[in-house]
Amino acid sequence: MFFHIVLERNMQLHPRFFGQNLRENLVSNLVKDVEGTNSGRHGFVLAVTGIESIGKGLIRDGTCFVTFPVKYRCVVSKPFKGEVLEAVVTKVMQHGFFAEAGPLQLFVSNHEMEDCMEYQAGDMPNYTSSDGSVRIQKECEVLLKITAVSVVASEIFCLGSIKGEFLGLLNVRA
Amino acid sequence: MSVASDSSPVHSSSSDDLAAFLETELDSDSDSDSSSESFPIEAAEVAVVDVSSNHRLKRQKLEHPEDETENVASVTFSEEISEASSSKSPCEHPGTFGNMCFVCGQKVEVTGVSFGYIHKGFKLQQDEVTRLRDIDMKALQSQRKLCLVLDLDHTLLNTTVLRDLRPEEEYLKSHTHSLQDVSGGDIFMLEFMHMMTKLRPFVHSFLKEASKMFVLYIYTMGDRPYARQMAKLLDPKGEYFGERIISRDDGTVKHQKSLDVVLGQEKAVLILDDTENAWPGHRDNLIVIERYHFFASSCKQFDHRFQSLSQLKSDESEPEGVLSAVLKVLKQTHSLFFQDGGEDLSSRDVRSLLKQVRKEILEGCKVVFSRVFPTKTQAEDHPLWRVAEGLGATCATEVDASVTHVVAMDVGTEKVRWAIREKKFVVHRGWIDAANYLWKKQPEEKFGLEQLKKQGADDLTVEK
Repeated sequence: MFFHIVLERNMQLHPRFFGQNLRENLVSNLVKDVEGTNSGRHGFVLAVTGIESIGKGLIRDGTCFVTFPVKYRCVVSKPFKGEVLEAVVTKVMQHGFFAEAGPLQLFVSNHEMEDCMEYQAGDMPNYTSSDGSVRIQKECEVLLKITAVSVVASEIFCLGSIKGEFLGLLNVRA
Repeated sequence: MSVASDSSPVHSSSSDDLAAFLETELDSDSDSDSSSESFPIEAAEVAVVDVSSNHRLKRQKLEHPEDETENVASVTFSEEISEASSSKSPCEHPGTFGNMCFVCGQKVEVTGVSFGYIHKGFKLQQDEVTRLRDIDMKALQSQRKLCLVLDLDHTLLNTTVLRDLRPEEEYLKSHTHSLQDVSGGDIFMLEFMHMMTKLRPFVHSFLKEASKMFVLYIYTMGDRPYARQMAKLLDPKGEYFGERIISRDDGTVKHQKSLDVVLGQEKAVLILDDTENAWPGHRDNLIVIERYHFFASSCKQFDHRFQSLSQLKSDESEPEGVLSAVLKVLKQTHSLFFQDGGEDLSSRDVRSLLKQVRKEILEGCKVVFSRVFPTKTQAEDHPLWRVAEGLGATCATEVDASVTHVVAMDVGTEKVRWAIREKKFVVHRGWIDAANYLWKKQPEEKFGLEQLKKQGADDLTVEK
């Protein structure tokens, strides 16, 4: 799920960047540091939309660096249990398949699929329903529901399920 | 829909939960709770748990604690699982993704073997690995295939950092093949990695033939990007290796290779590597291959003083090279494994078959060593003695009429003089090493002692 929240970060700046462009340098450093990262608490920081405030800079003892507390607004994406989202299948194995929704990695175990889905090994391993109408393989889009989220060392892993109404294969990516 | 007061047994598809607690979230003027989560949604989720437990008509097998710890979220999930299929036994947690069991979602202790090359964060428990290996074995038997684990550096190819290129090797830069279509070429410039790679002669045919008999794995001590790039050069269509590319980031013990991350049974796996010490636990599965030194930096790395193939402006011969010899051995072992002998295939062990093939090389030879071993040591313990016995030769310490070969390093010994008198073969130890690497008995004339004087003492390159 996406949120637009205010976060704070202490940015360090070397005095050579002081001057007219101090604020710009600070903001560009912030963007470089923060965009694309993820923390367990807030999820993936996707984009910085604006700066709320920049506090007074404090010179660090012993070094020449100055620390500015910066409050900024950004769009974050955090997965939640129960959330339904679209994902693209990246790898199919006998235990289930791996999928990704943007930066988020998910795993759907074969226990979390309808009972009629069978694993087919081969060159292009896939899950096929018993009547052959549904085939889930690499590069397919699926609609899945997140069943569990866990954060390990600021990496977010999710388990998903396609057992349920309206879940499962969407269409095959051309 | 007011969540708190709804007590009727509504068919609660879990899609209601998200909507439900968002509603509570937006309705209530909730303050962030004192727990570490800044999002109050976690607290709302807890409220949902109490309601959904009212909806349950049957008591589930799993206990669910009433306290509102973080575990409640995952336990609710397991409730739903057992609710849907209460006939299923409690989860055995065959493996983890992140730190959750990927079957039931519970947070479990992360033990087990990490299979990073399949997917990041994916681990399997040892029991599960054994189960998968059994399934794999059956599948392979029906396809009549075994497993082959291949090393990259000095086995299938030779890579050098561009910085280490010698002046006499600069001519290679103009001979590199295009990266767009790698199927015909064998020398590639990888500017973005600052490397140049030369594939060993015969490697394309080798891979094509081997993939018919074996499921191929790459296992290298390079890092993952390097391994994947080399796999693209060797296997542009991804048909030989697929995802089975194991790099040093995926190994369990540093600087050592092991079959624990290979999903194949040990008695059906063969390994092809130039370094024996990399596989401490699996010597019996290993076929040691002669190192491929194309670039000068590669020779330097191993402190060899002879010139590399690029400096000599030559290359290994394709039909008679090392890979071709190894392919023959692989074919032989494979056919021995799958030959119809009435014996159950699951009791066959590729390791003993490999030993069998090896013992045929010097079969019928009786070897005596002269001034090869230091006098203080026990001759039978010397590695060369062991190698010779592994090759099928009988070794002895004293000469007698049945001796066929005398291995010596010096002309003047009594045993050598006896051999010359009796018209027995006199060879230096390179004859045994060559048989070991080329899997074929070599003509003794090439390893006579006069040869020894010409070459350096550490020069064991095999004659073409």
